[in-house]
Amino acid sequence: MLEQIFTLTFMTAFLAAAVRMAVPLAYAAMGELIAEKSGILNIGMEGVMLAGAFFSFAGAFFTGSIFLGLVCGILGGVAVSMVHGVLSIHLAKDQSVSGISLNIFALGVTSFLYKLMSSGDTYKQIDPLSRMRIPVLADIPLVGSALFEQDIMTYVLYFLVAGIAWFYAKTSLGLSFAAIGENPRAADAAGIPVHKYQYIAMVLNGILGGVGGAYLVLVQVGNFTENMTSGRGYIALAAVILGRYVPGGILAASFLFGAANALQIRLQAVGVPLPPQALAMLPYVITLAALLTSIGKNQKPEALSRPYVRGAR
Amino acid sequence: MKENRRDRLIENACIAAITLVTATVLVILSGASPVEACQMFFKGIFGNLNGFGEVFVKATPLILTGLGCSVAFRTGFFNIGAEGQFYMGALTSTWVALNLTGVPGPLRMVLAILTGFVTGGLWALIAAMMKARFDISEIIVTIMLNYIGINLLGIAVRTFLMDPAGSIPQSAKLDASVTLVRFLKPTRIHTGIFLAVAAVVFVWFLMEKTTAGYEIRAVGFNQRGAACNGISVVKNIILSAALSGGLAGIAGAVEVLGVQKKLLEGISGGCGYTAILISLLAVNRPFGVLVTAILFAALSVGANSMQRQMGIPAAIVDFLIGMIVLLILGRELFRRKAGRREGK
Amino acid sequence: MPLLEMKQITKAFSGVYANEDVNLSVEAGEIHALLGENGAGKTTLMNILFGIYQADRGEIYYEGKKVAFASPRDAIDQGIGMVHQHFSLVRKMTVLDNIILGLESRASVLDRKSAAARVRELAEKYGLSVNPDSRVSDLSVGEQQRVEILKVLYRNVNLLILDEPTGVLTPQETEKFFDILRKLKAEGHGIIIITHRLAEIMAISDRVTILRDGKAVSRLVTAQTTPEELSAHMIGRELKKDSRQRERFLPEEMLSLEDVSLTTRRRKKKALSHISLSVHKGEILGIAGVEGNGQKELAEVITGIRKNYKGTMTWNGENLAGVSVKDRFRKGISYISDDRHSDSLIMDMSVTDNLILRDFDRSPYSRHGVLDHKKADEWAAQALEHFKIKTSGTTGIRTLVKLMSGGNQQKVILAREITDQAGLIVASQPTRGLDIGATEFVHQQLIKQKQQGKSVILISADLDELLSLSDRIAVMFAGKIVGILDREEADVFKIGLLMGGVTGQEESGSAGPGPGGPAAQGREGQKGGGAA
Repeated sequence: MLEQIFTLTFMTAFLAAAVRMAVPLAYAAMGELIAEKSGILNIGMEGVMLAGAFFSFAGAFFTGSIFLGLVCGILGGVAVSMVHGVLSIHLAKDQSVSGISLNIFALGVTSFLYKLMSSGDTYKQIDPLSRMRIPVLADIPLVGSALFEQDIMTYVLYFLVAGIAWFYAKTSLGLSFAAIGENPRAADAAGIPVHKYQYIAMVLNGILGGVGGAYLVLVQVGNFTENMTSGRGYIALAAVILGRYVPGGILAASFLFGAANALQIRLQAVGVPLPPQALAMLPYVITLAALLTSIGKNQKPEALSRPYVRGAR
Repeated sequence: MKENRRDRLIENACIAAITLVTATVLVILSGASPVEACQMFFKGIFGNLNGFGEVFVKATPLILTGLGCSVAFRTGFFNIGAEGQFYMGALTSTWVALNLTGVPGPLRMVLAILTGFVTGGLWALIAAMMKARFDISEIIVTIMLNYIGINLLGIAVRTFLMDPAGSIPQSAKLDASVTLVRFLKPTRIHTGIFLAVAAVVFVWFLMEKTTAGYEIRAVGFNQRGAACNGISVVKNIILSAALSGGLAGIAGAVEVLGVQKKLLEGISGGCGYTAILISLLAVNRPFGVLVTAILFAALSVGANSMQRQMGIPAAIVDFLIGMIVLLILGRELFRRKAGRREGK
Repeated sequence: MPLLEMKQITKAFSGVYANEDVNLSVEAGEIHALLGENGAGKTTLMNILFGIYQADRGEIYYEGKKVAFASPRDAIDQGIGMVHQHFSLVRKMTVLDNIILGLESRASVLDRKSAAARVRELAEKYGLSVNPDSRVSDLSVGEQQRVEILKVLYRNVNLLILDEPTGVLTPQETEKFFDILRKLKAEGHGIIIITHRLAEIMAISDRVTILRDGKAVSRLVTAQTTPEELSAHMIGRELKKDSRQRERFLPEEMLSLEDVSLTTRRRKKKALSHISLSVHKGEILGIAGVEGNGQKELAEVITGIRKNYKGTMTWNGENLAGVSVKDRFRKGISYISDDRHSDSLIMDMSVTDNLILRDFDRSPYSRHGVLDHKKADEWAAQALEHFKIKTSGTTGIRTLVKLMSGGNQQKVILAREITDQAGLIVASQPTRGLDIGATEFVHQQLIKQKQQGKSVILISADLDELLSLSDRIAVMFAGKIVGILDREEADVFKIGLLMGGVTGQEESGSAGPGPGGPAAQGREGQKGGGAA
């Protein structure tokens, strides 16, 4: 049995699937990282992703262009994250309440609109983004095709992660954005416009979360289903914690969760004699276990989810 | 004081107006006439006894889960795991109802409900312990536990709880003696509604009349103040979390024993999430939860009727309720001098 | 032309003046001290100068030009730097990153190398030794302060505002710190130093502006004044000794602390250091001291809110180790916290609910876990009458505490804490923010306790209050008791000097007593955990 599973072919396919499953998580987790570094906890990431997924689907379906679909997905994501931004920055509301409400709202909105779209009963499908094989690199055994025979959005992610890491480590602006989440009073005293930067962070949060959601539709499946994110937004939050607020670490954590997802899909495909639900549970169990391993290494920004009001103690 | 009341009035008017306009637009988008939709909506609820009964059938699990959320929110434990707790309650209570055949029916039913309460409570306790011991976000944990619970139920109805006579993933039908009585036939209203109302009274009594409830309230309002006066914060968070999960577990048991009479997938109908909104809207008050849950059930019955008759997606309810919660959260935006906050 | 002139600055918070027509002028090359008691308006004035608050009225001239700063950024751009009492440092970042935070032009790539070189150069020049690559969270409080100063110097400021800069330093560090200030002064910088330590003012400043109740009451040239004169101006009135005849306390020791120390988790420094103290039957023991010198921690150790102290504490002959907050109360230790909104009251609960906060779970309010609201209401009605608590007419005992005035809130706490079973009342700033009537009421209650043979620990920043009520007065400084004065020998000047850290043995020189630990924990820990 085991020999049948862990063949080279299986591993190659598994790794490729793992990367594909990890990409949307990584996009969303990067967006969440930027928000949390600036002190805003966006529990509403699930809603951001769901909006990204639905609007990218609607956009791509009506325009026939994947690119315009992506743009719509991004706009949908930003719309959701900006609601959270206004509530938590401008009105200093409880960020958990706002985030959860947003998730439920986004679920209602996307379900309703999707029902409207599909009322003609025809099965709606778009052509997913095709893959681009990068010559030489893709020929590396085992990992080559996993990393270099993917779609363009995967390649963009590589640069994005490196770019974000560079931004926080090496630039003046990055330093400012990180300082806000740690000690907004210090940032304010140093002349950094705290609220303005937090809004910018929320826009980026919406863009990246929207891309993450759009990826599910535009690359992975080519259609939309109700609640298709099924907890990925929350897993992205867990990836940020597990990745210890470092872009590289978060990428690794996303890959871990992606691998859990890919494993269950591959195992089902191979025909392991277990109920599919036992495998489908895997990513969630692994997320919980991963959270337990992160105990005591709390790296979260000190002022996370505490609204900043100038002059208040 | 007066100024304040006028502000609130203006805000409420704005929220109501925005909701009405949005509802109208959504109905028109669905290709229906708003007036007709409105008629159909009310006809669905009040048009016949069955529809009216359905309101209370739907309200029963909403009351119980909403109550559960409200208890946890009271201490600041953000339990969004009612969905998973519901599933675990449904699963284990079905097992008891099907397998403890040595126990006489009515007693088995009671046992099944108790089991639902205990497992739901334990399911929430996992998150509470992780929060209290390791400071891990209860939000992420309860969500993960939701998906795990849903899948566990999926496994159960395909394996040890699967109806041996059938091929669909669901359990065997429960013996009539263990199910909750439908006392108002032909409607599906069952005695579970009394249990739900009793739970409301119980939670109200607990919160307002007992020392345990007093502690929970004190911790919820001011953790530091409670601790300075000798009330344990950790103990009360864990207690409220367990009770919260237990109530959601009862909801699961009641749905199995009263409505479905068997265990099947998707049995909650998402009521664990709806419960969060209900609790937020009811500001965590037990009787508020009761009223809100019934209103919510009525809305969804009416919306179902619009869907059946006119093709308006029933998700319109979730759309609008989600929006109302957000509008209430951001109500200051409607104030004339919006956005001016003085530091506390 | 003065470097800075602030004219007729007025600022009110919800109707209460924090600054009223305050004038201040600072020359280049001058160290100007701003002296005043807590709440005199020093910090508010500086926050206005630095652009954190906007003045309601008044004008600011800087380098001869009229200026108005909308935010700290504006102030920094003009060459004004401020070191806050609570440091504005990002603990997780390095020293260097903290110094260059928000500074380099927006999108640029950091040039850490040349920045580090410049920091080293500045550090060298002013003797501010600190490693630019260390994480701030690893630094001592003194080092953190050096970082704050480097941060300001790095920005090429001409005017430097220092808010209570020495509160967190050891005497040795303070000496070094003053050397730095002298160098800066010699280079022509203007320096405003906010402080309450008289010895320091004498040692470092050129002129002093004294604030009292939001007004600038006097401006003195340091060389022509004495600590005694400063103290008198700061406190501002002839202190009348209470003429009421009072019997001396009884010899029985009720509470005794032996060598009690407390280390707070956050900074791992001592908040209380080797405190030995006893309170007798029928005694009011006053605790004087500038806020943040360990008074809050002392109160919380005695009441059981902070548990992990070292040393022994006995009450009525019984060791208190491991006794919970609740049990201590039941054994007679009551607490009136200085932060009534956070510590003593549940603001969103009713008067009745707050009155039973200590006793809700036992007879007569609880029977088998069920609250007897009737009994609670009866008690509340009684308390309302007895303590003359005014509630809203329509809701009465159901009024939410947050809707009541400060005086009435305090009376609710008094009614709850001062009961027949109480043997020791730990009262921290019990009259802060109260009007004269309410203050008088609180005083009467405390004296009544004494007369009934109970003990009171009265922590107060109000020297009048301490002198008129206390049998003995202990003075705290940097987490220690630096002196205990009998009522007969105590006067405002002696207390003022002790509060400023001038002890009898060390007439001159060092600003603080011995190698005592920093007192910063008091400020840091006030709102924080320790209880949960």
